[in-house]
Formats: sequence, structure tokens, C-alpha cells
Amino acid sequence: MMAVTTYRRQVVSSTLKYAVCVVVFIVIAVPLYIAIFGGMKSMGELQTAPLSVPLPLVTTMYTDLLLSHVGSFWRDLGNSLVIGAVTLFLDLALCSVAAFALARIKFRLSGLIYNYFLLGLLFPLAVAILPLYLTLRTLGLVNSYWGVILPQVAFQVPWNIVLLRGFFQSIPRDLEDAVAIDGYGPLGFFFYAVLPLSTPILATAAIIALVASWNNFFLPLLVFNDAAKFTLPMGVMDFMGQHITGWNIILAFLTLAMIPAVALFIFAQKYIVAGLTSGAVKG
Amino acid sequence: MTKQISAGFRKKRRATFFLLLLLIGPVFVVFTVFVILPVFQAAAYSLYRWNGLGPPTDFRGLQNFVVLVKDTIFQKALTHNILIVVFSLVVELPIALSLAIIVGRGRLKLAVFFRTFFFLPFVLSEVITGVLWQFIYQPQYGLINSLVKTFSPASHVIAPLGDPSTVFWAILIVIIWKYFGLHMTIYIAGLQGIPSELEEAARIDGASSAQVLRFIVLPLLATTIQITVFFSIIGSFQIFDLIWAMGQGDPVNGAETMVTYLYKFGFQRFNLGYGSSVAVVIFVICLTFSIVYQRLLLRERQG
Amino acid sequence: MKRYVAIAAVCVAGFLFAACSAGSTGPAKVSFWHIDVQHKDFWQGLANKYTAAHPNVTITITVLDNEAFKAKAATVMQSGNPPDLFQSWGGGVMAEYASAGLLRDITKWVKGTDWGKTMAPGVIAVYSYKGKQYGMPYDMGAVTFWYNKDMLAKAGYTSFPNTWDDFVAMLTKLKSTGVTPVALSEGDKWPGMFWWAYLAMRIGGEPAFDNILSGQGKFTDPPFIQAGQKLVQLSGLKVFEDGFLGAKQADGAALVGNAKAAMELMGQWGPSVEASSAVNKVGIGASLDTAPFPTVAGGAGAGTDVLGGGNGFAVGKNAPDAAVDFLKFVTSVDNNSTLAATGSIVPTAIGADAAITDPLMKAVKGIVDKAGYFQLYLDQFYTPAVGGAINDAVQQIFAGTQTPDQAAAAIQAAYDANK
Repeated sequence: MMAVTTYRRQVVSSTLKYAVCVVVFIVIAVPLYIAIFGGMKSMGELQTAPLSVPLPLVTTMYTDLLLSHVGSFWRDLGNSLVIGAVTLFLDLALCSVAAFALARIKFRLSGLIYNYFLLGLLFPLAVAILPLYLTLRTLGLVNSYWGVILPQVAFQVPWNIVLLRGFFQSIPRDLEDAVAIDGYGPLGFFFYAVLPLSTPILATAAIIALVASWNNFFLPLLVFNDAAKFTLPMGVMDFMGQHITGWNIILAFLTLAMIPAVALFIFAQKYIVAGLTSGAVKG
Repeated sequence: MTKQISAGFRKKRRATFFLLLLLIGPVFVVFTVFVILPVFQAAAYSLYRWNGLGPPTDFRGLQNFVVLVKDTIFQKALTHNILIVVFSLVVELPIALSLAIIVGRGRLKLAVFFRTFFFLPFVLSEVITGVLWQFIYQPQYGLINSLVKTFSPASHVIAPLGDPSTVFWAILIVIIWKYFGLHMTIYIAGLQGIPSELEEAARIDGASSAQVLRFIVLPLLATTIQITVFFSIIGSFQIFDLIWAMGQGDPVNGAETMVTYLYKFGFQRFNLGYGSSVAVVIFVICLTFSIVYQRLLLRERQG
Repeated sequence: MKRYVAIAAVCVAGFLFAACSAGSTGPAKVSFWHIDVQHKDFWQGLANKYTAAHPNVTITITVLDNEAFKAKAATVMQSGNPPDLFQSWGGGVMAEYASAGLLRDITKWVKGTDWGKTMAPGVIAVYSYKGKQYGMPYDMGAVTFWYNKDMLAKAGYTSFPNTWDDFVAMLTKLKSTGVTPVALSEGDKWPGMFWWAYLAMRIGGEPAFDNILSGQGKFTDPPFIQAGQKLVQLSGLKVFEDGFLGAKQADGAALVGNAKAAMELMGQWGPSVEASSAVNKVGIGASLDTAPFPTVAGGAGAGTDVLGGGNGFAVGKNAPDAAVDFLKFVTSVDNNSTLAATGSIVPTAIGADAAITDPLMKAVKGIVDKAGYFQLYLDQFYTPAVGGAINDAVQQIFAGTQTPDQAAAAIQAAYDANK
């Protein structure tokens, strides 16, 4: 008897849970669905049958964007890739050594420097944007890739230092001693022992940096004057401005612009999630 | 003998110093130049009336701040930021937490699928999200109006982004849509850190699900919740891209936030001094908040 | 830094020996920004034609839509490194750039030269500041009503009303026929400014605006307040499109082009944007007509006074001579005629108007020619801060969030703060 009510209660509760999940699923899926299929509809169809699957599928808008010179999808994609890749590389290269030093080398200012970097968590890009822009102007970095890359690297520093230092600290002391017996100093320890052990956490940091760079809009908006350097988010805004009433082709462009981020997410979700959570838990 | 040691020691210290310089130096410079210095520069520029061209010379003391505090549009922007904070805390985080509890502990089939899918909006860029929702809200072709017309053909066209009284709420929905998955994921990680024995023990003692939640899960999740609260507040004060992509904070400043205000009145109108004073205010708010928050948490932990 | 000084020194020396300014010998790169999204091919064609004749010159074109350009212009100017040739409406915005030293003085190329003689002095003057020339226009038209004749006929009107009161009465009748009387597109803000500016011009005439410049008048003077009051009255009739406060110009143009709305108050680009935004890509064709803004009873302004402006290019401070030469080429009678023939501009070169085949553009040209007082768009006429304040305040009036008095006070405050 007891078991039956519990069982019934469980059925009710899991049905309820499914219902909630399905509702949330729909709320997320519908906009995405509309973007994907909206790019295959005529304007009239878009208005009269927003939720239907278009028949026949009109793929000309996608092919126009990908194959002919409507918009600048490939160029924007290329720019986003270059900027993302360099940002990610510099971020890892600079932050991993610094985090290592802060984690494993004992020196008087260590704590102070760590806190100095932490201060950056409170300095949003938006606050610094005006003087940052002037700094870039003085350094001659306006309208150059570096003008976006270097500040992006800099604003990612606090997060990376927190993430990496925490991990490096957790590497056992014995390992360092073992490496030292083999005659290696701190640098040897870093390259031969720490780095190979840290691949997962580095992948996490890399992906977080890449996603931040990929989605960045404010900074490239200010820095790039030349349309040849526009990134994908800027390309989306620009394309929308130029095709403002052509919502079907805007949706097609949007869908294309979503694909890289979604693909990366599916490919690397383990690292993204790990990063968010370890950063948060250790925070 | 002692002399030798001290020389060796000094040599070693110098080596360490250079090593540290090599390891920390580059990142220290980049961080200082692009993150720390600009904030101090902003503080300096905020005392001038300055169009950003040539050196600032027209010193005005705190006048920019006086104008800023009295400006009704800025007050509106600040109010919007505060509302975003409030709704993040009382709507978004509870949604995220509930969903985390539902899909986070693997009893449900498809839980992993839902968990992954719910995170998806967070991966999309703010601009893409904004443009997509602009379409959904669009009065002639958008989804909302198509649906309204399907169910009641006679009703009036609605334009959520075209009405100053609704634009903010329409964007708020998008903010929740986009960010709840992030917080949910963080909660799931926190939940997974809770040993299942604790829960089982409580159940054996006859605790109901609600009791388990109230007395075991939530207390153990406290740190995680505190962190998400912190980040969602700081994030709320910095929001720009999404608002910009959904109508630049207009019509009639209906969705203006402090950063869109800074960009419009600082950059676009050639008032860099004034814009800098906005930056200083945002920074002071973030700083004050985080200090107060940390103090409160510390006291709570000690008490 | 050192290198920079060295380069500057070389350049100064170059100027002294007139080696830099003769210019046409060495290779030159010209960056060129325009906002004519509808005629990208035309501008690319011009550049190709020019570079074919001048193989040492390369021209890089950036096309941005109007709003994106305005946003971008603010930052590119702040960068201190403006494009060599870029879209400009002349007026106070251009003057702000010029006074900051961001533009190149091209007076000697224009004043008293053959090029300078191809345009009316008043037209050229829009692109000058303190007696110096910083750019040249290729299009100079008027803001007029673009309306659907068939819809007016259905409401019982065979011609466009001449007075404001008749006009308002007509809107009510149009509304009762089931169409949207006016596509306002107030999401972009400047379309509403056209209404407010025209009403102030019709009520206060030229003196109202002159007084502001001379300091004898203020934006809180009766003509500006009354203009606001008339807009409040208009808003009360609910004659605008749904969601007009968020609608972009192309959204409004699409309503006219798709025969959903009866009219818009727009510059000479109205018909071409209507066509390109319409579902059929041609707009309403022969049903479209144009008319000047009606007069206001008892107002000091004449019905022939024109709010207008157009398009042209300013020359960036680092522009090579080739950029100026290309500008001369762009604004030449021949090329100006070619663009005029597309029916989307009112050409500035004397004689190019012969190429206008579109009767509507001819009508606009007639309105411009008859203008006793020509007022440039207010958001370009004043500095960016004041222009922005005007656009904001007018949107507030349309939204009903500020009274005409409050809006006028806000504009005056911005004007005082940015004198």
C-alpha cells in the first residue's frame, strides 16, 4: 500500500518534471526553429505561416549568402576566427605562466599581485571603454586586430588566473620534488609536469576565452572602422541595417552566424561546463 | 663561509626575481595598460568638459557628476539596471535553481539532453540573440503578432519593442531566456558536489522531498548561490550588447541602461568627459556592492 | 613616436617643396565611405572608372547603412583618423569635425575654380565652415510628403491640402478608409524631427531660427512650443503606424511601398527606399506623388520655405590629393547626371538636372529652386550633441512622455551646454 502511493507520487512528480522541461524546451526551441526555417520562406509565408515548415524549402537565401556576394559571411567568419584564435593563444600563453608563478613560487608579493588581478573582476569592459579607446588611439591600435585582441586578453586575465592558479595549486608537492630530483628547476617542472597534467583545465580556459571573443560586440564596434575587419556579430548588425525589411534573408544570415558557436558548444560542452563550474566553485 | 652563502643566496634571489619578471611581467603589463589604467584615466577625464579630441583642458571639477545625477534619463537608466538585478534575483535565479533540481540529478531520462539544450541560448552571442528576438517581436512579420492574429484576427497589432512602456519588459524576457541556462549549469555542478549519502540518510529518517530540499540541498548549495548572485548582479550593471541589438535602449530611453547611456552621451555626442563620469559611477556602484556583499557574507559565516 | 615625428617632418618638408600636394604622380590609396545602400553598384562603378583612368590610385569602398554610419562616424572621428572621403550632410556636424582639425581644407580646389562653378554658391556653402570648404555635395533636395494618390482619392482628395488644418482633417478621413494615414518611422528619431522642424519653420519662419543663432531667441520661444503642441494634437488622432516609435525608416517606407500606409514625410530618397523595401521591389509606381509641407494659419513662414539637405562627402584630414580629385570626378556634371537619371537624388551640378527623367524628382527640384529660405536638417545643422537632443526631445513628444514645453527646455539646455 505504502509502496503504491510512493510509486504513484513518483509518477506524478516525474510527469510534472517532464511537463516543465518540455515547456522550457519549447520556449528555447521555437525562436531557433523560426530562425532556421524563416530563412527558407518568402516574406508572405513568414507572416502568414510562422510556425510551418516551408514547402518547398527555398534554399536560395542560404546559397546566396554562402556562395555569391550577398553579405559578407565568410569574411566576417574569417575575422572572428583570426581574432578568436590569437586571443585564445595569447591568453593561455601569458596566463598559464603567470598563474604558475603565483601558485608554485613563493615570494613576498605573491598574494598582493594575485589580488591585483582579482580586482579586474570588478572592472567591466564597459566602464573602461572610453579611456581604453583613447589608449588604443595613442598606441595606434584603432582599426587593427590587435586593438581588439589585446584588451580581450587583458579582460580575460582575472578569470584565467583564478581558474589556472587554483588548479596548479592542487598539483601535489611530491611531484615537484620528484622533478627537482631529476635536476629540473621551476620552469622544467612547469613544462614537463604541470602543462601535460593541465590539458583539461587549459582547454576549459581556452574555450571560455574563445566564446568571449567570439561573442564580443562592443569592443570591435568601437575599434574597427574598416568593414573588411568586421567580426560576425558586427556583420549581423550591419547586414540587418542593410536589409532591414528583408527579414527572411536576415534570419538566414543569423542562422549561419549561429552555427559556429553551436558547433563549438556541442563539440566542447564538457570543457565549457567544467570551466563555469570550477570557476564558480572555487571563485 | 657566511659570505659565500649570502652571495649564493643573493644570486638565487636575483634568479628568482628575473624568473618572476619573465613569468608574470607580460601579463601584468597587458592587464595594467588595458584594464587598470583606463579606469583611473576615466576618473581623471570625468572632471573635464572634453570632446575627446586634443588634450582635456576645460576643467569643470565635479560638474559632470552634478549634471549626471540630475539627469532624468540617467536616473531611468539606473532604475533599469536595478530592475534587471531584481528580476535576475527573484525570477531568473529561482527558475535556474528549480530546473537544476529537476534535471540536475539524473533521475529523469533525457535529463542530460535537457540540461545541454537549456544551456544553448547562453552560447549564442548577445547580438544574434537580440536580432532574433527583434524579429519575434516585429509588428508586421514577427511571431508574436502572427500568433495573436491567428487566434484573434480582429485584435490590434502589438509592437513590444516600439512602445516605451513595454520595451524594457520585452528585453527582460530575453535576458532571462538567454542567461538562466548559465546559472542552472552552475547549480547543477553544485548539486553534484553534494554527497548522495546525506540525502539517502535523510530519506531513511523519513524526510519528504521538500524537507530534503529545504534542510539539506539548499544549505549545501549556499556558496554556489552566493556566487551566482554576485555574478548576476555585476553582470546586470554591465549589460550593453543585448540592449543595443534590440533598439539601442529606445524608444524614448524605454530600455536605456547605464552603459548604453554612456555610449550614447559619451561617444556619440562627443562628450567624453561626461561619458567618463558615467563610467566612474558604474565602477563605484560595482565596487561598493562587492565590498558590502563580501562583508555581509563574511559576517554571516562568522556569525 | 619618433617615427611619427619623422613622418610628419617629411610631410611638412614635402608641403614646403610642393611635392606632396602636386600629388598625382605617386600611388595613392583612397578610403571612401558612403551610405547609398541602394546604389552600391553605381558607386563601385564610379570608383572602377576612376581607377581605370588613374591606375596609381586605389579606392577602398565601405558601405554602411545610414544608422550604422552615424554610429560608426562618432568613433572613427574619435580615432583621429577619418576616412579620406565620407558621407556628410555638411552643417554643424561637419563643422564640429572641421573645428577639431579632422577635415582637409579643400577651399583652393573649389573657390573660383571650374569645379566651384558647377554648383550654386548656396549649395556649396552647406559644406563650408568659417569660409573654408571641407566637402562637396552631389545631392541636395527637400523634405516633402510622399503620398499615395489612390488612397487620397478614396478619402475624397484629388490634391494634397495646403494648410495644416486641412491636412489634419484629411488624416482623419484617411483613417476612416481603413489605411494607416502616416508612416512615421520614429524609431530612427530623425523622421519625427522633420515634422517638428517644418512646423516650427511654418510658424516662426526664418527669424525664429536666426534668433537662436544670434542668441536673441531660444528653443523655448513660441514657434517651437507651438510646433510641439501641434504634434501632440496629431499624436492624439492615432494616425501613425502600429509600433511607430520603434519603426525604422525602411519599415515605414515598406508600408508606403506595400500600399499599407498613405504617406511619409521624407527626403528625396523616399521613393527609392520605398521601392527597395517593398515586397514587389518597385513600390506603388504611378500612384506615388509628392507635395510640400502645408502652411500653418497665421504663421510667419512661407509655404515655399524648405527643410532639406542631401548627401555629399567630406574630405578627411589625411586624404591624398587623389581623394579630392575623385570627389571632383564624382560630382562632375556627367556622373551627377547618371545618378540623377536613377531618380533617387536631386543633383547639385548645374545642368545635371536635365538628366532627371522622373517627374517626382523634377517636382522636388522645383521645390528646392523656389525656396526663399532653405533650412538644413536640424540634426545636421547643429552640433552632434544639440542635434541628438532635438531628435530625442521630438521622440519624447510623439511618445507623450514629455510636454512640448519640457521638450523645448531639454533642447535649449543641450544648446546652452554645448555653445
